[in-house]
Amino acid sequence: MILSGTLRSPGAAAISSLAADDGALLARVARGDLQAFERLYRAYQPRLTRFLSTLLKRPHLIEEVLDDVMMVVWQTAGTFRASSKPSTWIFAIAYRKAHKARARWPDPVEEPDGDNRTSEEPGPDEAFHHQRRRGLLMKAMDNLSPDHRAVVDLTYFHGMGYREIAEIVDCPLDTVKTRMFHARRRLRQAMSGTVDDWI
Amino acid sequence: MTDNGRTELTSHGEAEELLPWYANGQLDEADRAIVDAHLSSCAYCRQQLAIERRLIKEFQAIEPKIESGWTRLRGRIASDSQLPTVRAPRPTRLAEAWGFLTRPAIATLAAAQLAFFIVAGSALLWLSRPAYHVLGSPPPAAGGNVVIMFRADATEQDIRDVLKSAGATIVDGPTPANAYVLHVAADRRQMALKTLQANDIVQLAQPIDGGGS
Repeated sequence: MILSGTLRSPGAAAISSLAADDGALLARVARGDLQAFERLYRAYQPRLTRFLSTLLKRPHLIEEVLDDVMMVVWQTAGTFRASSKPSTWIFAIAYRKAHKARARWPDPVEEPDGDNRTSEEPGPDEAFHHQRRRGLLMKAMDNLSPDHRAVVDLTYFHGMGYREIAEIVDCPLDTVKTRMFHARRRLRQAMSGTVDDWI
Repeated sequence: MTDNGRTELTSHGEAEELLPWYANGQLDEADRAIVDAHLSSCAYCRQQLAIERRLIKEFQAIEPKIESGWTRLRGRIASDSQLPTVRAPRPTRLAEAWGFLTRPAIATLAAAQLAFFIVAGSALLWLSRPAYHVLGSPPPAAGGNVVIMFRADATEQDIRDVLKSAGATIVDGPTPANAYVLHVAADRRQMALKTLQANDIVQLAQPIDGGGS
């Protein structure tokens, strides 16, 4: 059975309120509760797919790594300690798995044209400009390094703070801030001209 | 540069670095106070903040259509047969036998995951029998031909009902993965599998006698 759906950012407030639920689910998963694992999977699969697609440029790898990540969650849920949020723990696994996958399968040199991550929106001129801006943004993202893309995506889409991001990507707080600072500069450069329309 | 100028530059740099997390609402009180204080006197950072908020909107507006791979992953869990680490470790004898068993299985059946599951799963179930079950012991009266896993919240009554409706009896289990081996009459196995698989409390029901489902 294949289900499909669209992904929306859960937002900062929603993420923190979900943490307790996720912790309870993880505890059940640790006891071998497959139903709890299915709920956890359905909650995280869209967000992890989004995060992994930011880090990996080979579509077949995204699915493979996602399954690897969730298998690690299934097999090691009992090692999760509540000192961090469940989302931090799971995203950190995803980040490490993506790194390893990229070492095996480096990003392709050239990306095919078009960006299927962008949703189609109806409407004439405004929609055209909107699409163009988004296209530029995605292209600018593609030109960042995977480490920079990870920090940008975790901040802008997943609504995480820099401390949680530092835990996920396993680096000092200042490194996260610096990566974000440089990534923003690159994004703004790539968007120059269109950014003025925003403000 | 004066001390004041240097301090302002430092606070500008610090606040500018924090803007993305100010915009997404993830700063703690101390950090937020730094940015608040700086924003009141820095037009550039106020402009950057507007851009940050717009970037967040743009990123969150991207809605890739994502297919669920749960069925695929559930199959992998079934074929993997590994338990979360917190649960009781598999007996050493079984672990060794399992390692020995899976090597040739993977080598010869890599392309047939289901076949691997059936063969390795059946062997695992056989190996997981109690220690007092010696080689000379007679086999059970009715041979198992279906492996089944129930949802964790299934009640005994639920299980009894579904087994009765499928005409199945439990001949072995639970295994370390909480699976059971069932026996159903060969001539109604197909129908029994359909009945079992359609029931909400059943997570997995597969034939283990080599026949298709």
